[in-house]
Amino acid sequence: MLIVGAGASGGVVARRLAAAGFGVVCLEQGDWHALDEFPAPRPEFELLARKQWAHSPNDRALPEDYPVNEDDSDIATLMFNGVGGSLILYAGDWSRLHPSDFCVRTQDGVADDWPISYEDLRPYYEQTDVEFGASGLGGDPAYPPPFEPPYPPLPIGAGALKVARAHTRLGWHWWPGTNSVLSVHAAGRRACAQWGTCLWGCPEGAKASTDHTHWKQAIADGAELVCGARVSRVLVGRDGLATGVEYVTRDGQEHVQEAGVVVLAANAIGTARLLLLSAGPGHPDGLCNGSGMVGRRLMVHPFANVLGLFDEQLRSWNGHIGSKIVSYEFYESDERRDFVRGAKWSLAPTGGPINAALPTRAGKATWGADHHLHMREYLGRGVSWGIFGEDLPDPENRVTLDPQLTDSSGIAAPKVTYRVGDNSRRCLDFQIERAKESLLEAGAYKIEEERLMRHSGWHLIGTALMGDDPDRSVVDGLGRAHEVENLYIVDGSVFPTSGGVNPTSTIVAFAARTADHLIRTRDRQKVAA
Amino acid sequence: MSHGAAPIGDPQRDRLRVFADVLIPSAHDMPAASEVGVADRQLDVVLGARPDLAEPLARALARVDPGDHEGSLARLRDADPAAHDALLLTVVGGYYIHRDVRRRLGYTGQVPVEVRPEIIPDYVDEGLVEPLLARGPIYRQVPDAGGLTSGSSILDHSSDRSARRMSSDELQGRP
Repeated sequence: MLIVGAGASGGVVARRLAAAGFGVVCLEQGDWHALDEFPAPRPEFELLARKQWAHSPNDRALPEDYPVNEDDSDIATLMFNGVGGSLILYAGDWSRLHPSDFCVRTQDGVADDWPISYEDLRPYYEQTDVEFGASGLGGDPAYPPPFEPPYPPLPIGAGALKVARAHTRLGWHWWPGTNSVLSVHAAGRRACAQWGTCLWGCPEGAKASTDHTHWKQAIADGAELVCGARVSRVLVGRDGLATGVEYVTRDGQEHVQEAGVVVLAANAIGTARLLLLSAGPGHPDGLCNGSGMVGRRLMVHPFANVLGLFDEQLRSWNGHIGSKIVSYEFYESDERRDFVRGAKWSLAPTGGPINAALPTRAGKATWGADHHLHMREYLGRGVSWGIFGEDLPDPENRVTLDPQLTDSSGIAAPKVTYRVGDNSRRCLDFQIERAKESLLEAGAYKIEEERLMRHSGWHLIGTALMGDDPDRSVVDGLGRAHEVENLYIVDGSVFPTSGGVNPTSTIVAFAARTADHLIRTRDRQKVAA
Repeated sequence: MSHGAAPIGDPQRDRLRVFADVLIPSAHDMPAASEVGVADRQLDVVLGARPDLAEPLARALARVDPGDHEGSLARLRDADPAAHDALLLTVVGGYYIHRDVRRRLGYTGQVPVEVRPEIIPDYVDEGLVEPLLARGPIYRQVPDAGGLTSGSSILDHSSDRSARRMSSDELQGRP
């Protein structure tokens, strides 16, 4: 079994397959990162967060990163290359898709239904909640029962308490956020210490990432993880089955890794890029691309922020970042609105003084004597609703190969073409106005809004559509490529639709389900001769 | 200057000192940028952490006019956004890393704070969860999503991981 990418889904698959006795090799272009590398405890933390630990590979520009041409994209795409993948820099907001997210064609007449349902994934959500250490409060009425995160909820803080009270008065849904951040010491990991730095590496190891939740066990069970290995092509034999991959190491040497089964876990940009790079005589438009859908229907969840400022010092630079509380009040479709589907709101803290002075989200810098008044107003006194919703698939939003740009190995870089759709815009406009009402009811005396955040492409979804019809999709409901029977895709690229929640919980649940399939059907799996 | 690919010399530091004080002057019981060494020791700290800033900072200092900081900043932003951003981040970074500035603002830095999950949250004490449960499910039912039963019982997340069911009364902290 060969896995490309040691991030969220790659780790989940590797741990399961290794435990089941498979020979597992994983190729990862990045490296391991120790907890003491992360910048949280350093006074220069906020400076380092904007470069060495920036979310955009174009900003970091590390040797293991590949550049992404975003000249024709409304939103910058964000990712991390290393063991643990983008989990190193994610917030840990651990939300499941809702049942209706799997059937938007049937219910709302848009996009496509998934070939699987919430109930198909539910057992895997429950398994991965435990593996990643989800902390939250059970019984959220926004989900069907059972909904029982295995660890207690994290503290929501003074600002979120104000908003929770406000939503109670408004009669609107709110619930303590579920985060893949341990609230208690468990499974050899420390509990959250509320550093407020989840997005730039957790120095406690409390935030789940597969480097410590999955890879160490997978390696103990015999998996081999090769770092600094950049895969450039999937190889296919005469029988149409995958035989392995070509990869390049940092010394420029080219290698071949043979395999019986190839599993792609390289995110919706990296996986699409690799399939397109794997074009050959029998598949000139890219591997698995007979449908023409490889790279198409990229979804990234256009993101808005609404910031409320309060009179009291809330010390909102501390605390987990993923979600203090969430609201699904306006998540489901409502025919009275001028858009379909809806959005999730996550309440987040607002960072330290450099972020207050030079806001990366809502708000503007102020200079001169008033700068000091601005800082007293903003630092620690705000809470921010982060809002994103269903990002309907558009075949013109896509990943292609850039004709000029290359990575440090000379391999063609991806180009992202992405425009925010009309439905997303109308949805965000509606949600922003409701979020203002929320914060004003909570007692905010000033509201700032950011109607579209460019650096918000954390959620990389689509580009290798899952479906039952080989003429219209790339993989089936198990992530198996229609055209290459021993090639599986387990990252967010397979999502037919985006839903309106953070995708990681669903990505790893889907990956766990595919891994179980591989284990159950090991005697029947076709491999290259 | 001991850090960075493009050293920032004394004439540039003088220019940075003047411009930084325009951006962050002494006012409202806060020191000016130059008073905490934004163009001196703090600049070394900033460039030590971010050597990549040195080159665009040098470009910025060659173009900005402290006598017209708003106009020259706007022109710089349009002509050379990387230089513009480097200048502002250097000033702000040096200022807010300084210990005395942080103390005056009451900013502790990013520090660990113990999580105490055994303490009943205020939102439970105040009865904020009960109305949500009383309202019932808000998710949209689909054919195989399970019944629309109310989330009327919730797992008690005790710190020793001995999960048990707790009633709504217990959830509200009532005996």
